Amino acid sequence: MAELQSQAAHAATTPAVMSPWDKVVNLVSRYPVAFMTLFFILFPFVVPYQALATQIIIWGLFALGYNVCLGYTGMLSFGHAAYFGVGSYTLGIVLIRLWENVWFGLACATFMGGITALVLGYLCIKRRGIYFALLTLAFAQLLYFVAFQWVNLTGGDNGLRNIPAVPLALPGFSVDIHDPLRFYFFVLFFVVLALLLLQRILQSPFGRVLEAVRENDPRARSCGYETSNVRWLAFIVSGAISGLAGGLYALYLHFVGIESLYWVTSGQILMITLLGGMGSFIGPFIGAGVFLFLEDVLSAITVNWMIFLGTVFILCVLFFPDGIWGTFVKLIGRKSALKR
Amino acid sequence: MEPMLTTIGLTKNFGGLTAVNNVNFSIYPGDAQSIIGPNGAGKSTFFKLISGEIKPSRGKIMFNGKDITKLPQTKVSHRGIAVAYQITNIFPLLTVFENVRVAAQSRKTTFNFWSKAESHSEISDQALHILEEIGLIQFRHDIAANLSHGDQKRLEIGIALATKPELLLLDEPTAGLSPTETRQTIELIKNISEHLTIILVEHKMTVVMEVSDKITVLHYGSLLAQGSPEDIRNNEEVRRVYLGGVKM
Ligand SMILES: Nc1ncnc2c1ncn2[C@@H]1O[C@H](COP(=O)(O)OP(=O)(O)OP(=O)(O)O)[C@@H](O)[C@H]1O
Ligand SMILES: [Mg+2]
Repeated sequence: MAELQSQAAHAATTPAVMSPWDKVVNLVSRYPVAFMTLFFILFPFVVPYQALATQIIIWGLFALGYNVCLGYTGMLSFGHAAYFGVGSYTLGIVLIRLWENVWFGLACATFMGGITALVLGYLCIKRRGIYFALLTLAFAQLLYFVAFQWVNLTGGDNGLRNIPAVPLALPGFSVDIHDPLRFYFFVLFFVVLALLLLQRILQSPFGRVLEAVRENDPRARSCGYETSNVRWLAFIVSGAISGLAGGLYALYLHFVGIESLYWVTSGQILMITLLGGMGSFIGPFIGAGVFLFLEDVLSAITVNWMIFLGTVFILCVLFFPDGIWGTFVKLIGRKSALKR
Repeated sequence: MEPMLTTIGLTKNFGGLTAVNNVNFSIYPGDAQSIIGPNGAGKSTFFKLISGEIKPSRGKIMFNGKDITKLPQTKVSHRGIAVAYQITNIFPLLTVFENVRVAAQSRKTTFNFWSKAESHSEISDQALHILEEIGLIQFRHDIAANLSHGDQKRLEIGIALATKPELLLLDEPTAGLSPTETRQTIELIKNISEHLTIILVEHKMTVVMEVSDKITVLHYGSLLAQGSPEDIRNNEEVRRVYLGGVKM
């Protein structure tokens, strides 16, 4: 029994003879977070400019949070702009009005992202499928209009300007993080933190219930799981990570645009996640990379870049429904091993 | 001895259709009873009422002396009633092991975010034990969707068993199985009935006759007859409405 169990624990089967390539794949699948950290440390030195790398990991973080809903729990939200936008505005407002402390600002952004998801999630979660998607969209648009009207707090149409570039307070000293490379590593710190946290959650008993709910919600309920509570909690975690990403984005831009709350942002994060491939850690970041890189290249060529990006997206969904990473994983035939 | 489960005047209307009509039924601890009846007789609906998946239009359900009529499905599950569904209802893209493990986990913990799922060895052990019992231990690493129909039917039973029920409702567990697979499943049900109370819905009379102590016949939602396999076999009315075309 003990032998069986240790085998079951290591469901990733290891072939007897491994080529060097297999060994790499095996290592990556065992330690995805370590691998990704390593990759991201080198990443800013291989992209055209460092700000792009920063954008990619911020949107990747947002997509990672979104994926907790879509990929791991099977909830299609069309309103994640709400949590990202609320995170952005929270950071901006806290830094401008309350306390010029980056840590505190980001903590508030994460918290408010989670709280917003808690409230809106409560109202949406009892519905499934398209009704859920439409409800999340409606509430996100509602927040957009509130931000639009509440000019005193949010700057309305003009956005929230002049978020101060405060140095990062550390015990005993403070660092200026507004140099592009330093800021990149500051963001990376939070990305790695989120990855570690999520990995832990997904491997926990709760993470397994999430997967069961995604696979077959009625059956999970008949096994005695209160699945709407489970989905609600996943939604809150997803909202909190999205809020953190929004806060980092506001810190990066020193500005919050009203469009951060607009439905286009919700569509963009869905696109990024589908492009990269749902239900994995790496997929969202690949999706963000491809999306932002294409946007960067195409928008320099034509103002109609959205048409081309849209076409790429449609082709991708039609021919590679598993996304770029999912397709890659299938090709090397190790879907189950690389899933987490 | 008190019955484990009793239904009193249990009725379910779907619009104008009465799928279950004023059914009085009871089963004692340790018994294995069968419910038979033509297609559309209301057998599956009767199971859904007992398991709390749908609520009755009228009537009462007592389980272990307590009224569970209004209890939500999740609570009924925790009281100790499990269903193996007629239409296979597994977690398709999880492994066979995880299908059973996650069901077993439902008795212990849901909102535990920090420990590793596999570190709960009593849950994993229970899952492995059940996989041996249902004969799927060699497929434990496989994705459930890739199992044959027959194996999926047995996994279905395994998921139900993993929730440690006192009362197990089996809805046509041998439907679509080959004679060999049917044989295996009969043996499995006999084993299970050694330690669990079972209600079985089946069309295959060989299975019903071999497994059950008592048989209930439903017809258009109503109770037509109740009695030992012998009684039912010799009941004129049952033969006319149901058993006429069936080999005994
Ligand atoms: N949700 C529902 N809404 C409306 N009618 C329903 C519903 N569920 C079942 N019915 C009807 O209730 C009747 C009983 O259905 P049920 O599935 O309980 O029959 P059954 O005895 O299990 O049949 P079978 O042997 O084919 O499985 C049928 O006429 C069916 O069409
Ligand atoms: Mg039925």
